[in-house]
Amino acid sequence: MSLYLKLIIILIAGLIFQNCESEKKVGKRDGLIVYQEAQISWARNFNPLSPAGSTRWPTKCGIHEPLFIYNSMTANWVPWLAVNYKWNSDNTVLEMQTRKNVFWSDGKPFSAKDVAFTTQIKKKFKALDTRNSWEYLDKVTAINDSVVQYKFNRVNVPGFDALATQAIVPKHIWEKVEDPVKFLNPDPVGTGPFTEILRFDNQIWELGKNKNYWQKGKPHVEKLVFPTFPSNEQVTLALNSGKLDWAGAFIPAVERVFVEKNPEHHKYWFPLTGHTTFLYTNTKDKLLNNVEIRKAISYAIDRELVVKVGMYDYTEPASVTGVSGPMSVWHSPEIEKIEDWTKYSREKASKIFEKQGFKLNKKGYRLYPDGTPIELEIIIVSGWSDWIRSAQVVSQNLNKIGVKTKVKTYDFGAWISRMQKGDFQLSIGWTEKGSTPYNLYKGMMSPDYLKPLGEVADVNWHRFSSDKADILLKKYEQTSDEKEIERIIYELQKIFVENAPSIPLFAEASWAECNTTYFTNFPSAENPYGTLSPNYEHENLFLMLNVRPR
Amino acid sequence: MNQSILFLLRRLGFYLMAAFAALTLNFFIPRLMPGDPATIIFARFRGKLKPEAIDALRETFGLNDASLIDQYFSYLKSILSGDLGISIAYFPQEVSSVISGALMWTIFLAGTSLIISFFIGTLLGTIIGWNRNSKLDSLLPPALAFIGAFPYFWLAMLMLYLFGFKFDFFPLGHAYSADVSPGFNLAFILSVIHHAFLPALTMVLVSLGGWMLSMRNTLISTLGADYITFAHAKGLSKRRIMIKYAARNAILPNLTGFGMALGFVLSGALLTEIIFSYPGQGYLLLQSVKSQDFPLMQGLFMTITLAVLLANWLVDIAILLFDPRTRK
Repeated sequence: MSLYLKLIIILIAGLIFQNCESEKKVGKRDGLIVYQEAQISWARNFNPLSPAGSTRWPTKCGIHEPLFIYNSMTANWVPWLAVNYKWNSDNTVLEMQTRKNVFWSDGKPFSAKDVAFTTQIKKKFKALDTRNSWEYLDKVTAINDSVVQYKFNRVNVPGFDALATQAIVPKHIWEKVEDPVKFLNPDPVGTGPFTEILRFDNQIWELGKNKNYWQKGKPHVEKLVFPTFPSNEQVTLALNSGKLDWAGAFIPAVERVFVEKNPEHHKYWFPLTGHTTFLYTNTKDKLLNNVEIRKAISYAIDRELVVKVGMYDYTEPASVTGVSGPMSVWHSPEIEKIEDWTKYSREKASKIFEKQGFKLNKKGYRLYPDGTPIELEIIIVSGWSDWIRSAQVVSQNLNKIGVKTKVKTYDFGAWISRMQKGDFQLSIGWTEKGSTPYNLYKGMMSPDYLKPLGEVADVNWHRFSSDKADILLKKYEQTSDEKEIERIIYELQKIFVENAPSIPLFAEASWAECNTTYFTNFPSAENPYGTLSPNYEHENLFLMLNVRPR
Repeated sequence: MNQSILFLLRRLGFYLMAAFAALTLNFFIPRLMPGDPATIIFARFRGKLKPEAIDALRETFGLNDASLIDQYFSYLKSILSGDLGISIAYFPQEVSSVISGALMWTIFLAGTSLIISFFIGTLLGTIIGWNRNSKLDSLLPPALAFIGAFPYFWLAMLMLYLFGFKFDFFPLGHAYSADVSPGFNLAFILSVIHHAFLPALTMVLVSLGGWMLSMRNTLISTLGADYITFAHAKGLSKRRIMIKYAARNAILPNLTGFGMALGFVLSGALLTEIIFSYPGQGYLLLQSVKSQDFPLMQGLFMTITLAVLLANWLVDIAILLFDPRTRK
């Protein structure tokens, strides 16, 4: 019997090794192999308007394109399918001039009519209006082939962001689509640099370049190739073995795990995004409703250690305003003189607790004035190891000032549900993102998002609102004057640092790696023309157009 | 023989009842989870999606406030008509098309490795049980128990690192290589075998010990039975006694276990799929739970339930054939 077995094994091994040899290839590679989405098998969906998040990347920023792109690395708006925009004197009418000589990948010319159509279709199908644009829009018309006019029903200057970053679809195709919400758009027609689906199998698909792309001579890469990868471990192996060129994955100890294997070609760039990861404090909690206590907790946190232990030193401690990296241009100059509660100081923390009447007992734990010991809980999503470690450092820091704190993990669904209903004391979470800190402060302090405990709040989990901030936020919506915008942001920062609605923990970074064996000219700290991370839609167009084969 | 048919019909009736109960549970248990799909998808964007989008998402998925009972009856109705609905995680794909994309790969990989593992394990169990106290008998059970005791993901990662990355014998993942196109051609088939080898090997390695040990132990207790002594006395050949007398009786518990395992093949091999980037049902199940994709979850649970019940019924038949006592 064992003879048969041996024979079979030899036979199989022979077949396999033969197959193995045929796979080894050297030299040039014409397709840029990309990892952006964790998937195990692909579904063919290229609907750029779908809100469901199940559309293949880069449908919104490679096949289709927006009017303007906000480049967060250079902190400016780059005209794309539009060349400029202009507000009327009272900021109620916005006009955008669209680019000439742009063609859809089926050869038909692109015009302002396509833009107007794309915006109108979102009115007709409410499900597509993910930015809720029709809440402030009144009418959208193409005045002629190259000017589109948006009439607002109220002044809302930040509404520009949603209109400018909208991926535009061709009218001549989409007007025939019966239900654009469920449309899979299997053979997309776009204006982008990559539009041809060369192949679509469950484990791999390929996106070929648009030969008539409006930026002549670009892109330099023939096609993008997308094999499936279910998790970051597979991505790391593939990057190291040269079977992946560009990825946006979190790799722990990236220097040792990735760079050291081949320092010449293994590159990573984890720049700060300008946003901040927060330690959320539930302001309806009987301890955390006290603003001084929130500040005391913040003083007690050794953010250097959090960043080192929790985040592999990939980022930096947060500033008291909650803005960082490229957003630091918004940092009000005097703010640190007013408040400095993100500076580590155990003494200050203890002093505040004492002053507020939370004394230590004999065992060294702090008590509520009624004599019961304080116990805090930080909730984190199970498996999010970087945040779990960060939370553990925070809990050690708090235990040191006598505040008993423990970390508890929940499955994502359970965690988000607790956050939304306000069923937590402390937690680590993200904040609202945008091109200015307006979105951050709106999410932190606007009464619009405030919900009572137990009701679902999608933002403002900490349940804080400030009427003073609200007036400023409304004023911000009314103005397109840059000086005025700056003044409002400074005012908002002041209210934020005085009230500490939640505690900025560390600056947020984006994860991205590349293997430059076959391709070159990826963005980097030395050449920061755009983001390296594929996880920032629209901005990825900069990379796609500039990366070149060796 | 009439008795046997009656027995099978009775079992079938029981399985139908079980199926109904399982389908009901499939409906209610997922809905006990906190949260709803729209907010979970919204939260996955981590602040990049504006809060206003949540209404658009609810509208898209058609999440309505119909009472649970109403939803339950419309669920039963659509299941009976074979309509599994539209997936949320893979919106707007039909659940049936999402599942069918993964089903074949799961059946192929998990099914093949189960069958290989069952046959080799049972065979080895028979051999070492028959030749107990031989060198093989003292070597194999502890060795396989040792391997089987490793955490599966660790073993699989190690194999992938050694044979996939370090020595480059096998690919790092996926079900076929990028330069072949799926279809009935030799290049594709070879590529599929080449890609399945390592994942299948890890699955066989960890499960082999179980089949072998249970076969060995049952066989040894069978060997003490009178009819074995009688067979020896009759002067039958050793091989005949081993296969036809001892093994045939000793295989029954293994066969029941095989039936169960066969049914559970459809639940996929989550860790294998993730470690080897292999398409399959396990990952779908994880995705559907993570995004509270009720229609997909229900579809997957239904295929698993039906497969388990069907496999059990087939085992009932097999046992009837093997064990004359059940025919009485």
